[in-house]
Amino acid sequence: MESRTVSIPADLYEKIEERIGETGFESVSDYVTYVLREVLASLEGEEKEEVFTEEEEEKVKERLRALGYLD
Amino acid sequence: MRVFVIGLDSAPPELLFGEFLEDLPNIRRIIERSIFGPMKSCIPAITIPAWMVMATGKTPGELGLYGFRHRKGNSYRDIWIAHSLMVKEKAVWDYIIPKKSVLVGVPPSYPPKPVNGCMISCFITPDSSVNYTFPKELKAEVEKLVGEYIFDVVFRKEDRDAVIEEVREMTEKRFEVIRYLIDRDWQYFQFVEIGLDRIHHAFWKYFDTRHHLHEPDSRYKNVVRDYYKLLDKEIGKTIKLLDEDTAIVIVSDHGIKRMKGCFAVNQWLIDEGMLKIRNSRLKPGTRFEQLDVDWSRTTAWAWGGYYARIFLNVKGREPEGTIKQSEYERVREEVADMIKSIKGPNGERWNTRVFYPEDIYPVVRGDRPDMMVYFDDLYWRSAGTLGYESPYLLENDTGPDDAVHSEYGVFALHLPDMQEARHVESEIYDFAPTVLKLLGVEANLRGRSLI
Repeated sequence: MESRTVSIPADLYEKIEERIGETGFESVSDYVTYVLREVLASLEGEEKEEVFTEEEEEKVKERLRALGYLD
Repeated sequence: MRVFVIGLDSAPPELLFGEFLEDLPNIRRIIERSIFGPMKSCIPAITIPAWMVMATGKTPGELGLYGFRHRKGNSYRDIWIAHSLMVKEKAVWDYIIPKKSVLVGVPPSYPPKPVNGCMISCFITPDSSVNYTFPKELKAEVEKLVGEYIFDVVFRKEDRDAVIEEVREMTEKRFEVIRYLIDRDWQYFQFVEIGLDRIHHAFWKYFDTRHHLHEPDSRYKNVVRDYYKLLDKEIGKTIKLLDEDTAIVIVSDHGIKRMKGCFAVNQWLIDEGMLKIRNSRLKPGTRFEQLDVDWSRTTAWAWGGYYARIFLNVKGREPEGTIKQSEYERVREEVADMIKSIKGPNGERWNTRVFYPEDIYPVVRGDRPDMMVYFDDLYWRSAGTLGYESPYLLENDTGPDDAVHSEYGVFALHLPDMQEARHVESEIYDFAPTVLKLLGVEANLRGRSLI
Protein backbone atom coordinates (compact mmCIF):
# COMPACT_ATOMS: atom_id res chain seq x y z
CA MET A 1 0.00 0.00 0.00
CA GLU A 2 1.22 3.52 -0.84
CA SER A 3 2.35 5.57 2.18
CA ARG A 4 2.41 9.27 3.08
CA THR A 5 4.27 10.96 5.91
CA VAL A 6 2.55 12.81 8.77
CA SER A 7 4.18 14.61 11.69
CA ILE A 8 3.56 13.97 15.36
CA PRO A 9 5.23 15.60 18.41
CA ALA A 10 8.57 14.01 19.33
CA ASP A 11 7.49 13.24 22.92
CA LEU A 12 4.44 11.38 21.64
CA TYR A 13 6.66 9.42 19.25
CA GLU A 14 8.90 8.41 22.15
CA LYS A 15 5.95 7.41 24.29
CA ILE A 16 4.64 5.19 21.51
CA GLU A 17 8.08 3.72 21.02
CA GLU A 18 8.17 2.74 24.70
CA ARG A 19 4.70 1.32 24.48
CA ILE A 20 5.20 -0.86 21.42
CA GLY A 21 8.10 -2.57 23.11
CA GLU A 22 5.53 -4.60 25.03
CA THR A 23 2.99 -5.07 22.24
CA GLY A 24 5.08 -6.51 19.45
CA PHE A 25 4.20 -3.89 16.83
CA GLU A 26 7.19 -3.57 14.55
CA SER A 27 7.28 0.20 14.23
CA VAL A 28 5.70 3.40 15.47
CA SER A 29 4.15 3.82 12.02
CA ASP A 30 2.45 0.40 12.21
CA TYR A 31 1.09 1.21 15.64
CA VAL A 32 -0.15 4.67 14.71
CA THR A 33 -1.79 3.33 11.53
CA TYR A 34 -3.57 0.64 13.50
CA VAL A 35 -4.81 3.00 16.21
CA LEU A 36 -6.05 5.58 13.71
CA ARG A 37 -7.94 2.97 11.71
CA GLU A 38 -9.65 1.75 14.87
CA VAL A 39 -10.63 5.28 15.88
CA LEU A 40 -11.97 6.11 12.43
CA ALA A 41 -13.90 2.87 12.22
CA SER A 42 -15.55 3.41 15.58
CA LEU A 43 -16.48 6.99 14.60
CA GLU A 44 -17.92 5.78 11.33
CA GLY A 45 -19.79 3.11 13.24
CA GLU A 46 -21.44 5.71 15.42
CA GLU A 47 -22.20 8.10 12.58
CA LYS A 48 -23.43 5.42 10.24
CA GLU A 49 -26.25 3.86 12.21
CA GLU A 50 -27.89 2.96 8.92
CA VAL A 51 -25.36 0.71 7.24
CA PHE A 52 -27.76 -0.47 4.57
CA THR A 53 -29.49 1.88 2.13
CA GLU A 54 -33.25 1.36 2.01
CA GLU A 55 -32.91 -0.69 -1.16
CA GLU A 56 -30.09 -2.80 0.30
CA GLU A 57 -32.02 -3.40 3.48
CA GLU A 58 -35.03 -4.63 1.51
CA LYS A 59 -32.76 -6.94 -0.47
CA VAL A 60 -31.15 -8.36 2.67
CA LYS A 61 -34.52 -8.75 4.43
CA GLU A 62 -36.00 -10.50 1.42
CA ARG A 63 -33.07 -12.90 1.36
CA LEU A 64 -33.13 -13.54 5.10
CA ARG A 65 -36.85 -14.20 4.83
CA ALA A 66 -36.24 -16.65 1.98
CA LEU A 67 -33.59 -18.32 4.14
CA GLY A 68 -36.03 -18.76 7.00
CA TYR A 69 -34.52 -16.34 9.50
CA LEU A 70 -37.35 -13.81 9.43
CA ASP A 71 -40.58 -15.81 9.48
CA MET B 1 2.10 -21.42 16.32
CA ARG B 2 -0.57 -20.35 13.83
CA VAL B 3 -4.25 -21.25 14.04
CA PHE B 4 -6.37 -22.15 11.02
CA VAL B 5 -10.11 -22.37 11.69
CA ILE B 6 -12.45 -24.21 9.34
CA GLY B 7 -15.97 -23.01 10.08
CA LEU B 8 -18.72 -25.28 8.75
CA ASP B 9 -22.07 -23.65 9.38
CA SER B 10 -24.48 -26.10 11.05
CA ALA B 11 -22.21 -29.19 10.88
CA PRO B 12 -23.70 -31.69 13.36
CA PRO B 13 -21.54 -34.23 15.26
CA GLU B 14 -23.84 -37.08 14.16
CA LEU B 15 -22.80 -36.63 10.51
CA LEU B 16 -19.32 -35.14 10.63
CA PHE B 17 -17.96 -37.45 13.33
CA GLY B 18 -20.34 -40.32 12.56
CA GLU B 19 -22.35 -41.28 9.51
CA PHE B 20 -20.22 -39.52 6.87
CA LEU B 21 -16.72 -39.71 8.36
CA GLU B 22 -15.71 -42.80 6.36
CA ASP B 23 -16.31 -40.86 3.15
CA LEU B 24 -14.22 -37.89 4.22
CA PRO B 25 -10.54 -38.92 4.16
CA ASN B 26 -9.08 -35.46 4.73
CA ILE B 27 -11.37 -34.52 7.58
CA ARG B 28 -10.89 -37.99 9.07
CA ARG B 29 -7.13 -37.54 9.13
CA ILE B 30 -7.60 -34.34 11.13
CA ILE B 31 -10.18 -35.85 13.52
CA GLU B 32 -8.07 -38.95 14.17
CA ARG B 33 -5.30 -36.74 15.50
CA SER B 34 -7.32 -34.24 17.48
CA ILE B 35 -9.33 -33.53 20.54
CA PHE B 36 -12.89 -33.53 19.29
CA GLY B 37 -16.51 -33.86 20.27
CA PRO B 38 -19.89 -32.17 20.30
CA MET B 39 -19.87 -28.47 21.16
CA LYS B 40 -22.88 -26.94 22.88
CA SER B 41 -24.05 -23.80 21.11
CA CYS B 42 -25.37 -20.63 22.70
CA ILE B 43 -29.02 -19.74 23.24
CA PRO B 44 -30.33 -19.02 20.66
CA ALA B 45 -28.52 -21.68 18.62
CA ILE B 46 -28.51 -19.69 15.43
CA THR B 47 -25.85 -18.38 13.02
CA ILE B 48 -26.18 -14.78 14.22
CA PRO B 49 -25.20 -14.48 17.06
CA ALA B 50 -23.44 -17.88 17.43
CA TRP B 51 -20.34 -17.23 15.29
CA MET B 52 -19.66 -13.97 17.15
CA VAL B 53 -20.34 -15.60 20.52
CA MET B 54 -17.63 -18.09 19.55
CA ALA B 55 -15.16 -15.42 18.39
CA THR B 56 -15.67 -13.09 21.37
CA GLY B 57 -16.35 -15.62 24.12
CA LYS B 58 -19.28 -13.39 25.18
CA THR B 59 -22.94 -14.29 25.55
CA PRO B 60 -25.64 -13.01 23.19
CA GLY B 61 -26.80 -10.82 26.09
CA GLU B 62 -23.40 -9.16 26.40
CA LEU B 63 -23.26 -8.70 22.62
CA GLY B 64 -26.86 -7.44 22.46
CA LEU B 65 -27.44 -9.80 19.51
CA TYR B 66 -30.36 -12.22 19.68
CA GLY B 67 -30.84 -13.12 16.03
CA PHE B 68 -30.83 -11.61 12.56
CA ARG B 69 -33.36 -8.90 13.38
CA HIS B 70 -34.15 -6.82 16.42
CA ARG B 71 -36.85 -4.38 17.38
CA LYS B 72 -35.87 -0.74 17.18
CA GLY B 73 -36.37 0.18 20.81
CA ASN B 74 -39.86 -0.80 21.90
CA SER B 75 -41.55 -0.25 18.59
CA TYR B 76 -44.14 -2.75 17.36
CA ARG B 77 -43.00 -2.85 13.76
CA ASP B 78 -39.63 -1.18 13.19
CA ILE B 79 -36.71 -3.57 13.02
CA TRP B 80 -32.99 -3.45 12.38
CA ILE B 81 -30.93 -6.15 10.72
CA ALA B 82 -27.82 -7.37 12.52
CA HIS B 83 -24.54 -6.15 11.02
CA SER B 84 -20.88 -6.03 11.91
CA LEU B 85 -20.85 -2.57 13.51
CA MET B 86 -23.22 -3.78 16.22
CA VAL B 87 -20.50 -6.09 17.56
CA LYS B 88 -18.66 -4.01 20.14
CA GLU B 89 -16.87 -6.75 22.08
CA LYS B 90 -13.32 -7.82 21.24
CA ALA B 91 -12.99 -10.94 19.13
CA VAL B 92 -10.07 -13.37 18.97
CA TRP B 93 -8.52 -11.34 16.14
CA ASP B 94 -8.61 -8.17 18.29
CA TYR B 95 -7.06 -9.83 21.33
CA ILE B 96 -4.08 -11.16 19.39
CA ILE B 97 -2.99 -7.87 17.81
CA PRO B 98 -0.26 -7.24 16.63
CA LYS B 99 -0.52 -10.78 15.28
CA LYS B 100 -2.29 -10.71 11.96
CA SER B 101 -5.56 -12.32 10.90
CA VAL B 102 -7.36 -13.35 7.74
CA LEU B 103 -11.16 -13.65 8.02
CA VAL B 104 -13.55 -14.89 5.36
CA GLY B 105 -17.31 -14.84 5.84
CA VAL B 106 -17.56 -14.82 9.65
CA PRO B 107 -21.12 -13.57 10.37
CA PRO B 108 -21.95 -10.80 10.83
CA SER B 109 -19.07 -9.13 8.98
CA TYR B 110 -20.81 -6.69 6.69
CA PRO B 111 -19.95 -3.84 6.42
CA PRO B 112 -16.26 -4.87 6.43
CA LYS B 113 -14.43 -3.57 9.49
CA PRO B 114 -10.72 -2.84 9.69
CA VAL B 115 -8.77 -5.82 10.96
CA ASN B 116 -5.05 -6.24 11.47
CA GLY B 117 -4.75 -8.28 8.28
CA CYS B 118 -7.56 -8.68 5.80
CA MET B 119 -11.17 -9.82 5.62
CA ILE B 120 -14.06 -10.62 3.30
CA SER B 121 -17.59 -10.04 4.56
CA CYS B 122 -20.31 -12.65 5.11
CA PHE B 123 -23.68 -13.62 3.63
CA ILE B 124 -25.52 -10.54 4.93
CA THR B 125 -23.62 -8.51 2.31
CA PRO B 126 -26.35 -7.04 0.03
CA ASP B 127 -24.54 -8.10 -3.17
CA SER B 128 -21.13 -7.99 -4.83
CA SER B 129 -21.56 -4.41 -6.08
CA VAL B 130 -20.78 -2.99 -2.61
CA ASN B 131 -17.43 -2.87 -0.88
CA TYR B 132 -17.09 -6.20 0.90
CA THR B 133 -13.41 -6.43 1.80
CA PHE B 134 -10.85 -4.87 4.08
CA PRO B 135 -8.65 -3.43 2.76
CA LYS B 136 -10.86 -2.19 -0.07
CA GLU B 137 -8.31 -3.17 -2.71
CA LEU B 138 -8.75 -6.86 -1.90
CA LYS B 139 -12.12 -6.91 -3.68
CA ALA B 140 -10.47 -6.42 -7.09
CA GLU B 141 -8.04 -9.26 -6.33
CA VAL B 142 -10.93 -11.57 -5.38
CA GLU B 143 -12.81 -10.75 -8.56
CA LYS B 144 -9.73 -11.20 -10.70
CA LEU B 145 -9.38 -14.64 -9.18
CA VAL B 146 -12.95 -15.99 -9.25
CA GLY B 147 -15.10 -13.45 -11.07
CA GLU B 148 -18.26 -12.52 -9.17
CA TYR B 149 -17.91 -13.64 -5.55
CA ILE B 150 -20.98 -15.44 -4.18
CA PHE B 151 -22.10 -14.71 -0.62
CA ASP B 152 -25.10 -17.00 -0.30
CA VAL B 153 -27.67 -19.13 -2.10
CA VAL B 154 -31.36 -18.89 -1.39
CA PHE B 155 -32.45 -22.50 -1.09
CA ARG B 156 -36.19 -22.28 -0.54
CA LYS B 157 -37.24 -22.65 -4.12
CA GLU B 158 -38.56 -25.56 -6.07
CA ASP B 159 -35.70 -25.73 -8.59
CA ARG B 160 -33.57 -28.13 -6.57
CA ASP B 161 -30.97 -28.71 -9.30
CA ALA B 162 -30.22 -25.00 -9.48
CA VAL B 163 -29.64 -24.92 -5.72
CA ILE B 164 -27.09 -27.75 -5.94
CA GLU B 165 -25.20 -26.03 -8.75
CA GLU B 166 -25.23 -22.59 -7.14
CA VAL B 167 -24.03 -23.87 -3.76
CA ARG B 168 -21.26 -25.88 -5.41
CA GLU B 169 -20.09 -22.85 -7.38
CA MET B 170 -20.20 -20.64 -4.28
CA THR B 171 -18.17 -23.12 -2.23
CA GLU B 172 -15.55 -23.74 -4.92
CA LYS B 173 -15.04 -20.02 -5.37
CA ARG B 174 -14.77 -19.46 -1.63
CA PHE B 175 -12.09 -22.14 -1.26
CA GLU B 176 -10.16 -20.71 -4.18
CA VAL B 177 -10.13 -17.35 -2.43
CA ILE B 178 -9.16 -19.00 0.87
CA ARG B 179 -6.19 -20.76 -0.75
CA TYR B 180 -5.14 -17.48 -2.36
CA LEU B 181 -5.22 -15.73 1.04
CA ILE B 182 -3.18 -18.44 2.78
CA ASP B 183 -0.09 -16.81 1.27
CA ARG B 184 -0.70 -13.68 3.32
CA ASP B 185 1.03 -12.94 6.59
CA TRP B 186 -1.23 -14.29 9.37
CA GLN B 187 -1.25 -16.10 12.69
CA TYR B 188 -5.04 -16.51 12.82
CA PHE B 189 -7.10 -17.56 9.81
CA GLN B 190 -10.83 -18.25 10.01
CA PHE B 191 -13.41 -18.88 7.35
CA VAL B 192 -17.07 -19.87 7.52
CA GLU B 193 -18.69 -21.88 4.73
CA ILE B 194 -22.42 -21.22 4.79
CA GLY B 195 -23.14 -23.62 1.91
CA LEU B 196 -23.36 -26.60 4.26
CA ASP B 197 -26.27 -25.05 6.14
CA ARG B 198 -28.08 -24.32 2.88
CA ILE B 199 -27.59 -27.88 1.61
CA HIS B 200 -28.78 -29.33 4.92
CA HIS B 201 -31.97 -27.28 4.88
CA ALA B 202 -32.75 -27.88 1.22
CA PHE B 203 -32.04 -31.62 0.97
CA TRP B 204 -32.44 -33.10 4.45
CA LYS B 205 -35.64 -35.02 3.81
CA TYR B 206 -34.13 -36.92 0.89
CA PHE B 207 -31.49 -38.63 2.98
CA ASP B 208 -32.98 -38.82 6.49
CA THR B 209 -35.25 -41.87 6.51
CA ARG B 210 -36.87 -40.70 9.77
CA HIS B 211 -38.08 -37.43 8.22
CA HIS B 212 -41.89 -37.34 7.98
CA LEU B 213 -41.66 -36.25 4.33
CA HIS B 214 -38.82 -38.62 3.43
CA GLU B 215 -38.88 -39.67 -0.22
CA PRO B 216 -37.10 -42.99 -0.55
CA ASP B 217 -34.82 -43.41 -3.56
CA SER B 218 -35.11 -39.82 -4.61
CA ARG B 219 -32.42 -38.74 -7.05
CA TYR B 220 -31.47 -36.19 -4.40
CA LYS B 221 -30.78 -38.76 -1.70
CA ASN B 222 -26.99 -38.33 -1.92
CA VAL B 223 -26.87 -34.55 -2.28
CA VAL B 224 -26.02 -33.95 1.39
CA ARG B 225 -23.35 -36.67 1.44
CA ASP B 226 -21.88 -35.48 -1.87
CA TYR B 227 -21.61 -31.95 -0.56
CA TYR B 228 -19.67 -33.21 2.48
CA LYS B 229 -17.34 -34.96 0.02
CA LEU B 230 -16.88 -31.72 -1.90
CA LEU B 231 -16.01 -29.94 1.35
CA ASP B 232 -13.57 -32.70 2.23
CA LYS B 233 -11.83 -32.44 -1.13
CA GLU B 234 -11.56 -28.64 -0.87
CA ILE B 235 -10.36 -28.85 2.74
CA GLY B 236 -7.75 -31.43 1.69
CA LYS B 237 -6.39 -29.17 -1.06
CA THR B 238 -6.36 -26.25 1.35
CA ILE B 239 -4.64 -27.75 4.41
CA LYS B 240 -1.83 -29.03 2.18
CA LEU B 241 -0.77 -25.39 1.89
CA LEU B 242 -0.37 -24.93 5.65
CA ASP B 243 3.04 -25.16 7.28
CA GLU B 244 3.96 -27.73 9.95
CA ASP B 245 3.46 -25.37 12.84
CA THR B 246 -0.25 -24.75 12.31
CA ALA B 247 -3.08 -25.84 14.59
CA ILE B 248 -6.24 -26.79 12.67
CA VAL B 249 -9.68 -26.28 14.18
CA ILE B 250 -12.95 -27.56 12.68
CA VAL B 251 -15.97 -25.98 14.25
CA SER B 252 -19.67 -25.28 13.72
CA ASP B 253 -22.05 -22.73 15.21
CA HIS B 254 -24.88 -25.21 15.90
CA GLY B 255 -26.06 -28.59 14.67
CA ILE B 256 -29.01 -29.57 12.57
CA LYS B 257 -31.75 -32.20 12.62
CA ARG B 258 -34.96 -33.15 10.87
CA MET B 259 -37.86 -30.74 11.07
CA LYS B 260 -41.06 -32.26 12.42
CA GLY B 261 -43.17 -29.31 11.37
CA CYS B 262 -43.90 -25.63 11.89
CA PHE B 263 -45.93 -24.19 14.69
CA ALA B 264 -47.83 -20.99 13.81
CA VAL B 265 -47.23 -19.26 17.10
CA ASN B 266 -49.14 -16.03 16.39
CA GLN B 267 -52.16 -18.04 15.34
CA TRP B 268 -51.96 -19.87 18.65
CA LEU B 269 -51.66 -16.55 20.53
CA ILE B 270 -54.85 -15.38 18.78
CA ASP B 271 -56.64 -18.63 19.67
CA GLU B 272 -55.62 -18.17 23.29
CA GLY B 273 -56.89 -14.57 23.33
CA MET B 274 -53.48 -13.02 23.89
CA LEU B 275 -53.19 -11.39 20.46
CA LYS B 276 -56.18 -9.40 19.21
CA ILE B 277 -56.60 -8.49 15.57
CA ARG B 278 -59.24 -6.61 13.60
CA ASN B 279 -58.84 -8.51 10.31
CA SER B 280 -61.88 -10.65 9.60
CA ARG B 281 -60.39 -13.33 7.37
CA LEU B 282 -56.77 -14.21 6.87
CA LYS B 283 -55.26 -15.91 3.86
CA PRO B 284 -52.90 -18.78 4.68
CA GLY B 285 -49.37 -17.41 4.95
CA THR B 286 -50.38 -13.92 6.09
CA ARG B 287 -47.36 -12.21 7.61
CA PHE B 288 -47.51 -10.59 11.02
CA GLU B 289 -46.72 -7.19 9.44
CA GLN B 290 -49.93 -7.49 7.40
CA LEU B 291 -52.15 -7.76 10.50
CA ASP B 292 -54.28 -4.97 11.86
CA VAL B 293 -53.44 -5.57 15.50
CA ASP B 294 -55.63 -4.15 18.27
CA TRP B 295 -52.73 -3.33 20.54
CA SER B 296 -54.94 -1.89 23.26
CA ARG B 297 -56.23 -5.43 23.91
CA THR B 298 -53.10 -7.43 23.13
CA THR B 299 -50.94 -9.20 25.71
CA ALA B 300 -48.27 -10.87 23.58
CA TRP B 301 -47.02 -11.37 20.02
CA ALA B 302 -44.24 -13.42 18.47
CA TRP B 303 -41.58 -13.64 15.81
CA GLY B 304 -40.87 -16.89 14.06
CA GLY B 305 -37.72 -18.45 12.69
CA TYR B 306 -35.80 -21.50 13.88
CA TYR B 307 -36.73 -20.40 17.40
CA ALA B 308 -39.48 -18.05 18.58
CA ARG B 309 -39.21 -14.71 20.26
CA ILE B 310 -42.16 -13.65 22.40
CA PHE B 311 -42.81 -10.01 23.22
CA LEU B 312 -45.14 -8.79 25.95
CA ASN B 313 -47.15 -5.61 25.57
CA VAL B 314 -46.13 -3.67 28.68
CA LYS B 315 -47.60 -0.37 29.91
CA GLY B 316 -45.05 2.43 29.80
CA ARG B 317 -42.76 0.39 27.58
CA GLU B 318 -44.73 -0.37 24.41
CA PRO B 319 -46.68 2.49 22.78
CA GLU B 320 -50.04 0.91 23.68
CA GLY B 321 -48.96 -1.39 26.49
CA THR B 322 -51.59 -3.31 28.44
CA ILE B 323 -49.63 -5.21 31.12
CA LYS B 324 -48.93 -3.22 34.28
CA GLN B 325 -45.23 -3.20 35.17
CA SER B 326 -46.10 -4.64 38.58
CA GLU B 327 -47.83 -7.55 36.84
CA TYR B 328 -45.02 -8.22 34.37
CA GLU B 329 -43.41 -11.20 36.09
CA ARG B 330 -46.72 -12.85 36.83
CA VAL B 331 -47.98 -12.46 33.24
CA ARG B 332 -44.68 -13.66 31.81
CA GLU B 333 -44.82 -16.78 33.99
CA GLU B 334 -48.40 -17.43 32.89
CA VAL B 335 -47.59 -17.06 29.20
CA ALA B 336 -44.48 -19.23 29.61
CA ASP B 337 -46.50 -21.94 31.38
CA MET B 338 -49.08 -21.93 28.60
CA ILE B 339 -46.35 -22.21 25.97
CA LYS B 340 -44.70 -25.08 27.84
CA SER B 341 -48.00 -26.94 27.99
CA ILE B 342 -48.54 -26.88 24.20
CA LYS B 343 -48.85 -30.44 22.91
CA GLY B 344 -48.15 -31.80 19.43
CA PRO B 345 -50.78 -32.24 16.69
CA ASN B 346 -51.63 -35.74 17.99
CA GLY B 347 -51.63 -34.76 21.64
CA GLU B 348 -48.05 -35.89 22.16
CA ARG B 349 -45.92 -34.25 24.85
CA TRP B 350 -43.44 -31.66 23.59
CA ASN B 351 -40.15 -30.85 25.24
CA THR B 352 -40.62 -27.10 24.82
CA ARG B 353 -38.05 -24.86 26.47
CA VAL B 354 -38.62 -21.22 27.41
CA PHE B 355 -35.74 -18.89 28.27
CA TYR B 356 -35.80 -15.48 29.94
CA PRO B 357 -32.82 -13.36 28.83
CA GLU B 358 -31.98 -12.22 32.41
CA ASP B 359 -31.81 -15.84 33.57
CA ILE B 360 -29.36 -17.06 30.95
CA TYR B 361 -27.02 -14.10 30.38
CA PRO B 362 -24.91 -12.21 32.94
CA VAL B 363 -25.76 -8.92 31.20
CA VAL B 364 -28.69 -8.24 28.88
CA ARG B 365 -27.96 -5.47 26.39
CA GLY B 366 -29.92 -4.05 23.50
CA ASP B 367 -33.27 -5.03 22.05
CA ARG B 368 -34.00 -8.31 23.78
CA PRO B 369 -37.26 -10.28 23.60
CA ASP B 370 -39.19 -11.10 26.78
CA MET B 371 -38.81 -14.82 26.09
CA MET B 372 -37.12 -17.14 23.66
CA VAL B 373 -38.80 -20.44 22.89
CA TYR B 374 -37.56 -23.76 21.50
CA PHE B 375 -40.72 -25.61 20.48
CA ASP B 376 -40.21 -29.32 21.22
CA ASP B 377 -36.47 -28.73 21.66
CA LEU B 378 -36.33 -27.03 18.22
CA TYR B 379 -37.89 -29.96 16.33
CA TRP B 380 -40.80 -27.66 15.53
CA ARG B 381 -39.91 -24.51 13.70
CA SER B 382 -41.72 -21.41 14.74
CA ALA B 383 -43.81 -19.84 11.97
CA GLY B 384 -44.63 -16.18 12.36
CA THR B 385 -47.17 -16.34 9.53
CA LEU B 386 -50.80 -17.27 10.09
CA GLY B 387 -54.20 -17.87 8.54
CA TYR B 388 -53.99 -21.67 8.50
CA GLU B 389 -56.63 -24.25 9.39
CA SER B 390 -54.49 -25.46 12.25
CA PRO B 391 -51.39 -23.98 13.90
CA TYR B 392 -49.51 -27.21 13.12
CA LEU B 393 -47.98 -27.19 9.63
CA LEU B 394 -46.29 -30.30 8.37
CA GLU B 395 -44.48 -28.40 5.65
CA ASN B 396 -42.58 -25.21 6.07
CA ASP B 397 -44.70 -22.06 5.74
CA THR B 398 -42.35 -20.11 3.49
CA GLY B 399 -40.93 -22.48 0.89
CA PRO B 400 -39.29 -25.92 1.09
CA ASP B 401 -37.13 -26.41 4.17
CA ASP B 402 -36.68 -29.80 5.79
CA ALA B 403 -34.37 -29.19 8.71
CA VAL B 404 -34.17 -27.29 11.99
CA HIS B 405 -31.26 -26.36 14.21
CA SER B 406 -30.00 -28.54 17.00
CA GLU B 407 -28.11 -27.43 20.05
CA TYR B 408 -24.85 -29.31 19.55
CA GLY B 409 -22.38 -28.39 16.84
CA VAL B 410 -18.84 -29.75 16.44
CA PHE B 411 -15.39 -28.92 17.74
CA ALA B 412 -12.10 -30.54 16.72
CA LEU B 413 -8.58 -29.26 17.37
CA HIS B 414 -5.57 -30.83 15.75
CA LEU B 415 -2.14 -29.77 17.01
CA PRO B 416 0.98 -30.59 14.99
CA ASP B 417 2.30 -33.12 17.55
CA MET B 418 -0.96 -35.01 18.10
CA GLN B 419 -0.89 -38.68 17.14
CA GLU B 420 -4.25 -39.86 18.39
CA ALA B 421 -7.76 -38.71 19.12
CA ARG B 422 -9.28 -37.75 22.43
CA HIS B 423 -12.96 -37.09 23.02
CA VAL B 424 -13.88 -33.76 24.60
CA GLU B 425 -17.22 -32.18 25.48
CA SER B 426 -17.15 -28.44 24.99
CA GLU B 427 -19.24 -25.32 24.89
CA ILE B 428 -19.15 -22.55 22.33
CA TYR B 429 -17.66 -20.32 25.06
CA ASP B 430 -14.55 -22.53 25.21
CA PHE B 431 -13.48 -21.72 21.65
CA ALA B 432 -12.03 -18.23 22.27
CA PRO B 433 -10.02 -19.16 25.41
CA THR B 434 -8.62 -22.23 23.61
CA VAL B 435 -7.53 -20.31 20.52
CA LEU B 436 -6.13 -17.46 22.59
CA LYS B 437 -4.08 -19.90 24.64
CA LEU B 438 -2.62 -21.38 21.46
CA LEU B 439 -1.68 -17.88 20.37
CA GLY B 440 -0.20 -16.99 23.76
CA VAL B 441 -2.78 -14.42 24.86
CA GLU B 442 -4.57 -14.35 28.20
CA ALA B 443 -8.10 -13.05 28.44
CA ASN B 444 -10.59 -13.23 31.24
CA LEU B 445 -13.50 -15.04 29.60
CA ARG B 446 -16.25 -17.30 30.90
CA GLY B 447 -15.19 -20.36 28.88
CA ARG B 448 -12.24 -22.66 29.62
CA SER B 449 -9.30 -23.54 27.42
CA LEU B 450 -9.59 -27.11 26.14
CA ILE B 451 -5.81 -27.55 26.11
